[in-house]
Amino acid sequence: MLGFTKGLGFTLKKLPEKKVTHKYPDEPFPMPSRFRGIQHFSPEKCIVCNQCVRICPTDCIQLTGKPHPDPERKGKIIDTYDINFEICILCDLCTEVCPTEAIVMTNNFELAVYSRDELYKDLTWLDGNRTNIREEN
Amino acid sequence: MRELVQQPLTMWNLLLIVLAAIALLLVVLVFVTYAIYFERKVIGWMQLRPGPNRVGPLGLLQTVADVSKLLLKEDTRPKQADRILFALAPVLAYAPAFTVLAVMPFTESLQFADLDIGVLYYVGLSSITVLGVITAGWASNNKYALIGGLRSAAQMISYEVALVMSIVGIVILTGSMNLREIVEAQRDVWNIVPQFLAFLIFIIAAQAELNRSPFDLPEAESELVAGYHVEYSGFRFAMFMLAEYVYMFAMGTMVTVLFLGGWLPIHPALSFIPGIVWFVVKFSLYVFLQFWLRATMPRIRSDQLMSFAWKGLLPLAFLNILLTAGFVSIFA
Repeated sequence: MLGFTKGLGFTLKKLPEKKVTHKYPDEPFPMPSRFRGIQHFSPEKCIVCNQCVRICPTDCIQLTGKPHPDPERKGKIIDTYDINFEICILCDLCTEVCPTEAIVMTNNFELAVYSRDELYKDLTWLDGNRTNIREEN
Repeated sequence: MRELVQQPLTMWNLLLIVLAAIALLLVVLVFVTYAIYFERKVIGWMQLRPGPNRVGPLGLLQTVADVSKLLLKEDTRPKQADRILFALAPVLAYAPAFTVLAVMPFTESLQFADLDIGVLYYVGLSSITVLGVITAGWASNNKYALIGGLRSAAQMISYEVALVMSIVGIVILTGSMNLREIVEAQRDVWNIVPQFLAFLIFIIAAQAELNRSPFDLPEAESELVAGYHVEYSGFRFAMFMLAEYVYMFAMGTMVTVLFLGGWLPIHPALSFIPGIVWFVVKFSLYVFLQFWLRATMPRIRSDQLMSFAWKGLLPLAFLNILLTAGFVSIFA
């Protein structure tokens, strides 16, 4: 009987207390510094070494390069760069292998869309995804 | 309002009676809508979360959205179910819940029918709901529904005995079964003081009657497949839900009338506040107690349930009757 009233008192005391839940969709949720979110890609840094494509465990990255417009310089520059987020597992391997940090992780994670086609993100989209870029890659 | 029933039945009077019933139904529906809202809010707050807050301002339209979803849902029926009984069961569960409100005195003048056996009328009609529960369990043609239905019936019948026995003390004290006279007899002191034991028994038995925590075994959302209404969906399921909350309304009214002095103020000096306000305040306190208990208590075990009713509550209720009868025969 005493425990019963104690329980009632406890719940009543909890009633006006501060809520512990997050207001996530209204306020952005701060992610930890090592969080693996959607990649940001900067085309000017890319040297078209194809390392990210080779390391990708789900084969979700496709890229093509073209010769450098300045004929005196060697090497290639990036032409197209697509990540298929239907199968990307955000494993962080592409950003780890990248020698120039052209592809880095961000803290963004909202990928829900109404159509599967929208999950194919191209170079311009990945370049534009430059908010909340992870500090250390 | 009361005179309306005694007058000869003309078309005009019939219209008035129907309108009054519809008005009461609307009041009850609004109560049910916001009782569910506040239940979720209060339990949310006690569990340190905000509760529903997405639909409408402060989430006020959450229940409206939920009910609309239920009404728009496909009305499914098991292939081998008893067609007539399956449709009849929700009606059988809901109709008595609304009918018992006819005798409830909300204030001195606001009462639909002034029966001299108001208590008996309430007790008699409210037990018909058990029939609706059993019918639902049987007609679903599902073994879990049947077992769930029988379990609920066993619980509701057992606790009904203790519930009725706890009212008997008040009937002895007042010398009347008329609910209005029971309230009038509490002018000096509310029944909760001389009948405190009966009050405790009534509150506990009422929890079991309402199938609410800690006696919510018939539903037991976390361990059973919802018991007797497992095969119900759409508006038939909504009907069962509605019956449950209308019973909460009826039980709250009953507690207020029997033990908390109905529309009477807490002290005669405060009688400038209208009776309906007093009634609503006491009624809301009881409804809050329901939510508070649900946030606090774990569910009781099935075997504890039955022995608690027959070996605990019922003897206490008899003791209360004995004490009250002895007291009345010596001092009155």
